[in-house]
Amino acid sequence: MKRIFTALMVLALALVVSSCGGKGSSGTIVYGTTDKVSDMDTANAYDFHTWEIFQNINKGLLTYTPGTTEVIPGLAESYTVNDKGDEYTFKLRKGLKFTSGKEFNADAVKWTIDRAIALKGDPSWLITDYVREVQVVDPLTVKFVLKGPTAYFPTMVAGCPPYFPLDPSVYPVDKVVKNPSELKGGALVGLGPYKCTSFKRDEEVVLEANPNFYGDKPKIKKVIIRYFADATTMRLALEKGEIDLAFKSMNPSDINDLSKNDKLNTFKMPGPFIRYLTFNCDVSVFKDKRLRQAVSALLDRKEINEKVFLGQNEPLYSMVPQGMIYAQQNFKDEPGDANVAYAEKLLKAAGYSAKKPLAFDLWYTPSHYGDTEVNMAEVVKAEIEKTPLVKVTIKSAEWATYKDQWRNKQMACFFLGWYPDYIDPDNYTAAFAGTNGAIGNGIYFSSKMWDDLFTKEQTVSDPKVREELFAKVQKMWVDEVPTSPIFQGNLYVFTKKNVQGVNIGPTLIFNYDQLHFEKK
Amino acid sequence: MRRVLNYLIGRLLLTVPMIFILLSLVFVVLRVMPGDPVSAMLGGHAPDSVIEKKKLELGLNKPLGAQYVDYLGQLARGDLGKSMIFEEPVWTSISAKLPATLELTFFGLAVCLGLGVPLGVRAARNRRNGHDFGIRLYANVVYCIPVFWLGLMLQMIFGVFLGVFPIAGRTGSRVISSEFDTTGLYVIDTIIHGDIGALGDVLFHLALPALTLGITLSGVFVRLTRANMLDTLKADYVLASRARGISENKVVYGHALKNALIPIVTMLGLQFSALLAGAILTETTFSWPGMGRLLLERIYLRDYPVIQGVIVVYALLVTLVSLAVDLVYAAIDPRVEL
Amino acid sequence: MQDKPEARRKSFLSPASGVASLIGKFSRAARKYRIEWWILSVGAVIIAVVAFMTLFPGLFTRFDPNDQNAGPQLGAPSIGHFLGTDNLGRDVGARVVYGSRTILGVAFAASLLSALIGIPLGLISGFAGNWADKALSLVMDSVYSFPGLILAIAFAAMLGPGVINITVAVAVVYVPTYFRLVRGQTLQIKQELYVEAAGAIGARRSTILAKYVFPNVIATVVVVFSLNIADAIMTEAALSYIGLGLPAGVPDWGMDLSMGKKFLPSGVWWMITYPGLMIMILALGFTMLGEGLSEILNPRLQEY
Repeated sequence: MKRIFTALMVLALALVVSSCGGKGSSGTIVYGTTDKVSDMDTANAYDFHTWEIFQNINKGLLTYTPGTTEVIPGLAESYTVNDKGDEYTFKLRKGLKFTSGKEFNADAVKWTIDRAIALKGDPSWLITDYVREVQVVDPLTVKFVLKGPTAYFPTMVAGCPPYFPLDPSVYPVDKVVKNPSELKGGALVGLGPYKCTSFKRDEEVVLEANPNFYGDKPKIKKVIIRYFADATTMRLALEKGEIDLAFKSMNPSDINDLSKNDKLNTFKMPGPFIRYLTFNCDVSVFKDKRLRQAVSALLDRKEINEKVFLGQNEPLYSMVPQGMIYAQQNFKDEPGDANVAYAEKLLKAAGYSAKKPLAFDLWYTPSHYGDTEVNMAEVVKAEIEKTPLVKVTIKSAEWATYKDQWRNKQMACFFLGWYPDYIDPDNYTAAFAGTNGAIGNGIYFSSKMWDDLFTKEQTVSDPKVREELFAKVQKMWVDEVPTSPIFQGNLYVFTKKNVQGVNIGPTLIFNYDQLHFEKK
Repeated sequence: MRRVLNYLIGRLLLTVPMIFILLSLVFVVLRVMPGDPVSAMLGGHAPDSVIEKKKLELGLNKPLGAQYVDYLGQLARGDLGKSMIFEEPVWTSISAKLPATLELTFFGLAVCLGLGVPLGVRAARNRRNGHDFGIRLYANVVYCIPVFWLGLMLQMIFGVFLGVFPIAGRTGSRVISSEFDTTGLYVIDTIIHGDIGALGDVLFHLALPALTLGITLSGVFVRLTRANMLDTLKADYVLASRARGISENKVVYGHALKNALIPIVTMLGLQFSALLAGAILTETTFSWPGMGRLLLERIYLRDYPVIQGVIVVYALLVTLVSLAVDLVYAAIDPRVEL
Repeated sequence: MQDKPEARRKSFLSPASGVASLIGKFSRAARKYRIEWWILSVGAVIIAVVAFMTLFPGLFTRFDPNDQNAGPQLGAPSIGHFLGTDNLGRDVGARVVYGSRTILGVAFAASLLSALIGIPLGLISGFAGNWADKALSLVMDSVYSFPGLILAIAFAAMLGPGVINITVAVAVVYVPTYFRLVRGQTLQIKQELYVEAAGAIGARRSTILAKYVFPNVIATVVVVFSLNIADAIMTEAALSYIGLGLPAGVPDWGMDLSMGKKFLPSGVWWMITYPGLMIMILALGFTMLGEGLSEILNPRLQEY
């Protein structure tokens, strides 16, 4: 018995020693995240993380200077706009090849757009709402004919993956690709600085530098994305040095601790993602805008930020986040936070009292936005119930059911979040209060006056006029309150001390090719 | 031999009704649930026409009975179908995660028996004194410890405070599993590839989950072993052995234990379900990429075919194990006739 | 014992005299089985204390479990808050005390529901013994041998969050337990001479079931009921831990556990330690009660 025991101990020791020899190589970065990849197809994927991967393995005709909102030439070396503002002609770079070897030309661009329109995927509205057709003028010139003048069209071409050209010889034209193994050649193909060499859903995705890329080659030759099931494990992995970089999404308490850790770099950026409270303005008790105003006035955004997020985000006082052009803070002064008197006045006028309180269900979804949701719901309930004239019941539904329920107008009041599709205040306003957008988000608010305002700001190109229009919209928001903003997020990226180059700007685009190791 | 075959076939045939019943239950439950795979897949922005078209494609518009019959027909051909969310064959998704669960279950069982049987023997040998009471107390208490709580406690102590063992996943972040993955059972794979470093890594990651799973179930085996040992130790042949002067150790381990093992094997079969259930909770706590987590994820996504497939696989596992146990039992106990 | 225990058990018992004989057994047992009696008492005490907690929470804590201003966020255990505070500033002790309602209520109701369905089915099935019995047994055996937690998960996911929904989800898992137990006993008793005799003198089947079969089955059922509650507690805790339990607003030990584990690496150990401990203690209480009862009502032959 004793001998067996000793033998086991020796073996164990040997294993410990051998496993300590790390496999780190100086050209590889291990990037940890708790996000998930959805479909590996730009025509259907509509989530932040998958878009991030696309922005590194694909490229748009235009692109951004990393870390800024400056639109610069991408796959196209230049473009022109007609006077009306509804025709954009792009001149493509010469001699570019997809990682499959196929030549890149205008046909590929047209093919990609046509395919996205035909497949009618989740993000396809970003194309179909704007593009009437794409014309191939010659192998290196392509013209986008829009449905109407759109001042911010270049931002969409630069930032939205559905516009990034795909290889027609690899992607199937009639179905959405979920896994790279379905493609010809079994791997993803693109024109970006990296190419994807290995894909294991929910475990790892491996990217390697793309030798065919037209621009500066990335300094880090290999990026391994590791998927973690929960933030706690990821935080510990980072602290132990098992991963080099961690991004999205970490618990507030972890962010606090990691920020104070001397052995790590903290990159904090304002992230134009917002969270807000949504009202069903059509068939629920919130058809009456006074009640929407009342409930909105009871929110204490500062407290929510402190209690739930330990102060790591920013309270938001308009649907347009700070840092975006034309952003204001209309909810701040009147009614401001936790204005119980204001709310009670409205409630009483609508006929509610302590004996007959306004009763409604407040819905949240437990994991889609992270597991702080339940805490936010609990805090908001406590805030709303500071007045005895309202009675709140918290309810929850998983994301699948949640979406179903808002389509079916079954939720009177619920939490939603929003990551920008393109960087323009239109994406934060028309998307919720324009008739079409409101239906898509379960708000069902509709007003001709608002729609007219939105049409105007979308088509006019004079920034002064747009600024006026958006000021008006944001002011009207406090009156109609189809949604009530709660906070805008900050993004935190943590890296090992020697990893630099994290440069995520207001566009939220994370360019892996900017990363590099710094010798200390 | 013929008898064995008959018996095997007979038992296997019995698995059919069981799978059928469980499947039916789950099938109906799933389709009555609010939410469906199409809503889960498409955003809230998708127009109704797209949703309807997708539902038609997936056959979700047919009446419940028709869908049921279709699925049974599919199963009869051995086809588990394709995921409604990812269009991957169900068996591909399951077979990617099954080895992880099997590995965890195996090592959990090893810990369970490795703790339970020796402790039970010890208790039997020292009956009615301190060791006995302590061990019996352990056995009773340990069964009531929630698996996930024990997991959290072990994570806290060994993973966070002491930093000795990793607390999640099957491999470290820098170990690329595709380099050695052949069967999916990483312990075997790393040995085949001769990658000792990776083997160490894999074993270290197995440590806490296997301990968690094993400890909670060991209580049952402690008591069973103890009771059986006590019975066996009273038997005549034991008395005779002692009288002949055979050493106590030999008596206990050589003769008594062998006979006490038979009911333990039986109990193994019965406890396998509990092991699988415990494995799901362990997988959640330790982010272990096994079938349990797959089940939970796909329930979340309303991926009907995968959920049904997982249930079928679990049912098959349970029946296969209980069948195996019966055969082993028949083999080692000469009194049993098939 | 001088009385023949076998004969006593199988006499024509009416429920009242049955209870009397139980009490008689208890006092004899107390003298004879010191350890088992001890175990039973400890179990009973634990259950009593927790039951008290559910009925009179105010005696155990002065905080409201949903009060987010009870104390500092993530405060360590201190004089003001014996078990610390959670991330929203709520007192952990209060959440533990009020959480007992949820878990005990659900576990008890679920076991009761299972029993109410399983026992009659078992009685009828065992007594009738025809093809219906075989079919029902097959169904019950299938469900019984399958890992119960998985079924509970499927049902809980289907029904959605809610106290009643969770109760039903947990109840589904245990129906076969009672069915099999009762059916087995019924089959045994059915063969007894006195039952045959009753049938011969023309007693209706329902009378036989009610007067002769049922009282003999009760003893074992009570034991199983207690052990069942312990199991149901663990299942309910597991469901809320996974997130398939109750919505926010109702303090629940399992949910607090899953909420608390996020703060573990920050050194916050009290949020998960106490709810987990309580689950264990409560389950242990019912287990001890059940085991103790089992030893006393159906004494095993001399182990020693």
